[in-house]
Amino acid sequence: MTVLDGVKAAALLFVAAIAQVSIFSELHVFGAVPDVLLVSLVALSLLRGSIAGAVGGFFAGLLVDTATLGMLGLSSLVLTLAGYWIGRYGETTGRDRAHAPFLSVAVVTLLYELGLLVVHFVLGESAPAGAVVRSLVPAIVLNLIITAPVYALVRRLLRPGDRDELTAEVQLLG
Amino acid sequence: MAPPSRSARAAVLASSVQRSKPAPRPSQARRAFIRRAVVVVLVLAALTLLTVSFRSPTAGALHDVQGAGSTALRPFQIAATRVARPFRDAYDYLHSLANAKSENARLKKQNEELRKDAIIARANAAKYSQLPKLLHLEQGPTFPKDFRPVNAEVLSSPTGPFTHTLEIAAGSSSGLRINSPVVSGYGLVGHVSNVFPDTAIVTLLSDQDSYVAARDLQTGVQGGIQPGPSGTLALNDVQKQLVVKPGDVIVTAGTHSARYPDLYPYGIPIGRVAFANATDTAAFLQVQVQPFAHLGSLDAVAALVPTKPRR
Repeated sequence: MTVLDGVKAAALLFVAAIAQVSIFSELHVFGAVPDVLLVSLVALSLLRGSIAGAVGGFFAGLLVDTATLGMLGLSSLVLTLAGYWIGRYGETTGRDRAHAPFLSVAVVTLLYELGLLVVHFVLGESAPAGAVVRSLVPAIVLNLIITAPVYALVRRLLRPGDRDELTAEVQLLG
Repeated sequence: MAPPSRSARAAVLASSVQRSKPAPRPSQARRAFIRRAVVVVLVLAALTLLTVSFRSPTAGALHDVQGAGSTALRPFQIAATRVARPFRDAYDYLHSLANAKSENARLKKQNEELRKDAIIARANAAKYSQLPKLLHLEQGPTFPKDFRPVNAEVLSSPTGPFTHTLEIAAGSSSGLRINSPVVSGYGLVGHVSNVFPDTAIVTLLSDQDSYVAARDLQTGVQGGIQPGPSGTLALNDVQKQLVVKPGDVIVTAGTHSARYPDLYPYGIPIGRVAFANATDTAAFLQVQVQPFAHLGSLDAVAALVPTKPRR
């Protein structure tokens, strides 16, 4: 990942985080909100790998927690793990699969919501499991709807990079 | 002829030679180490932030830094909100259009229910406004002795100009008997003309067969109250030489002879004299009385039941 790529990724996540806390957080549909930041992070992780995903997730979460004056580190923790796992998926089995962004978004939306619920519960804060579970399906559907345009945009911004870096640990036969 | 790539793949898959596990290249192991180190450091950093933020949510250096960061981000948030405002307005407009029909139906239904509630509330207020007056009469000094009131709701009022009876929600089980006097909070209404276990029929003063012995409270002149013109009453059988003046209060005359006890005890207010005139052709005074009780709009009345057996 080049410096230019890093700057582009940072700008992408910054814009996505600001848009998320300012615009999309108020767009309630069936009790759920589309998470453009999460989808952008998934796209970045698939295209640039686990390290970029983890670092991007950490700072994007920090940005969100700062902007919303929430508990610092909470979103960072969940987004770091999400970015890392999706990055690993993109580096290994998910590589070049057309369905990888959609599958990643669906799974990570589920894990992200449940992860936030668990962290809130562990911290002794309000953790409305029923409401979270009810909004899971709408949240997944909303995120899947925005996956295609967001992934295309991120792919256009961050052109597929050096394949050697991505394929270093998986040997293809034939 | 198979394409070259397919034949090459088939050759590899068909080979029975076991491939040795490739030894990890130094750069590969290093990259895995870096990757794991990065994620561990980031997770630890997140946990540290979380712990510090959780332990001191309202004070401390981290809180100050977060506040400063939030302030720095505020312009970007405002800019984003302004950029998105037209889209949001358009979304809200479309959303309101989509919901307008259902919302209109919901509001109509709600309006109908509220209107019903308001009518019921007004009706109750109007009905219960008569109750304090009735209570005042029952507890006042003019309430006849040796009688107890049986309060009853009016179930049906006179339905037209030819009906001068009403049905009340009290009957023989409450002690009512035929000819029991019935009063409202303002004055005499009539008497019980038919009685059932839980209901009774009251014949009003406006009925053609009604007759009440009455007297002028100011002058002591006595006569008989019967229906008069236009919903008023008439004090009949008053000699022309006697004096009855407009404004005089007419009350029930009560019993004068123990052999012939009157239906109505003495002193129940009936009405006020509206007009009194003597003509050459008539043998008696023409006295028009405006009843105190609103005979056409009664909601609650009290039947007077004697506390002692009457002969």
